[in-house]
Amino acid sequence: MNVVFHLLIMAGIYVILAISLNLILGYAGLFSVGHGAFYGIGAYTGAILATRLFFPFWGEIVLAACVAGFFGLVIGFPTLRLRGDYLALATFGFAVIIYSVFNNWYDLTRGPLGIRGIPKVEFLSIQFKSLWAYTVLVWIFVCITIFCIQRFTRSAFGKVLEAIREDDVAALAIGKNIARFKVLAFVIAAFFAGIAGVLYAHYVTFIDPSSFLVQESFLIFSMVIFGGMGSIGGSVVGAAILVILPEALRFLGLPSSIAANMRQMIYGALIVVIINWRPEGLIGKAKL
Amino acid sequence: MFVQLVINSIIAGAIYTLLALGFTIIYGTLNFFNMAHGVAYMVGAYLSYVFRIQLGLNLPLAFSLSAVATAFAMIGIDRIAYFHLRVKRAPSWALVVSSIGVAIFIESFVSAVFGSDTRSLRTEQAAPGYGLFGAIITPVQISMLVVSGVLMLFLTLFLKTTLLGKALRATSNDPDMSSVLGINTESIYRSTFALGSGLAAIAGSLVALETDVFPTMGHSALLKSIVASIMGGIGNIPGAVFGSFFLGFVENFGIWKLNSSWKDAIALILLMFFILLRPSPSGMESQK
Repeated sequence: MNVVFHLLIMAGIYVILAISLNLILGYAGLFSVGHGAFYGIGAYTGAILATRLFFPFWGEIVLAACVAGFFGLVIGFPTLRLRGDYLALATFGFAVIIYSVFNNWYDLTRGPLGIRGIPKVEFLSIQFKSLWAYTVLVWIFVCITIFCIQRFTRSAFGKVLEAIREDDVAALAIGKNIARFKVLAFVIAAFFAGIAGVLYAHYVTFIDPSSFLVQESFLIFSMVIFGGMGSIGGSVVGAAILVILPEALRFLGLPSSIAANMRQMIYGALIVVIINWRPEGLIGKAKL
Repeated sequence: MFVQLVINSIIAGAIYTLLALGFTIIYGTLNFFNMAHGVAYMVGAYLSYVFRIQLGLNLPLAFSLSAVATAFAMIGIDRIAYFHLRVKRAPSWALVVSSIGVAIFIESFVSAVFGSDTRSLRTEQAAPGYGLFGAIITPVQISMLVVSGVLMLFLTLFLKTTLLGKALRATSNDPDMSSVLGINTESIYRSTFALGSGLAAIAGSLVALETDVFPTMGHSALLKSIVASIMGGIGNIPGAVFGSFFLGFVENFGIWKLNSSWKDAIALILLMFFILLRPSPSGMESQK
């Protein structure tokens, strides 16, 4: 039963990540591959606030998400002029730099040793110690994320983002400040990725830089592509399937080292297959 | 210390040149950032390990076989992962996504076959280095310089004088016109892939003489090829050589004062600097 709760928690965290990346990638059409960096920033900020400054959970999650959102501004603003491939490179570079910082800024992050002893969550005088309680908490945040992002994408703001994706010059011509919208998309997406990071940090209670490698960004990216760009339902399904599917490999009785690699191989192969033969993903609408 | 740093920079520059040349001709001809370039470097190193240590072949033969095998493997990959997208005239980001999938797949495949522990091409005790103005250069490093020098010369002659080289340059300049003139552009694309990946494989094999071989070694190689070729102007061959040596110097003099684990971050900060400050994000493409 614990395995089921574990999978539900991880699926929930990745659903938040995939949905928030989808806002940038699927709706705004900005080719960002460094989403794991915001996730890591959220997790580290949360962990530092909780273990050193003993912040209460609600204050910590808001502050950590804001810090991640601030970094969304930091990366979103200078990369405004970049398109397609170059934006991908810049965000990829950002993810690697952030990883280097986690790994090397010893005083703040304790480098490769990681941060230990992140407390379990206590919120509204409820202790989320048992797995099922934490699962409920994570999925409450998933619902909040889905609700917010859905509201964003259906609002005028979301329509402008889609207009930018389809034709940014036309959007500019009808008087939309496309720079502001692009940066805002980055900030919102980074904010939610930060929330996912805090939830992860409190779940595993120990974080180190290896949890936020560039592969993590690629994994989130493949969830969005797999589920379908520009579809929130797609991101939910894509993230859930890509978290749960590899667990099926356990029942094949493979040794764990092979199983971990098999999992990555499935991700890689899925990306190639989807982008070549079904670019709209499972339920998306984006076309090549 | 200063002379030693200069020597180290030149050696690093020579290896980066092999990587960046491959990366830049692939970009120039196929028009996308091949995120699987680092994988060719890693596969080259592993194949050299197989041929040299496991099968006991001599070094030059092992290296050549490894480069040829990597080249053929990448032609196969091209058929599976890029050919359809090219035929459909998909946007370049789709090819980038596909190459990310390829990179994840091959990397985890190699890791499943060889395990994640490191291998090495070193067979005997490292030969003592020669003193040179108070610095040390080992015979292995000298052979690295010689091999990359010869390959650079070979590549230049190949592109300038042979029929295939000219066809390659013509295709990279204008694929439609080239195919009107009777150049089989598909076969040129395949040759470009083979050539670029073969160069990366040799770079990987050379580096493996000095350092360890492990499945994720391609990450930083990919990074270096991206940074070096963008600094030199992507698609531009003399530019790639210049960018590689520039990167080699900046990195090695950078870690004079900083911890060496910041090396990748230095490269990326350079990259960000260059892509953000370029006069026009599409300037390079419009020259072609």
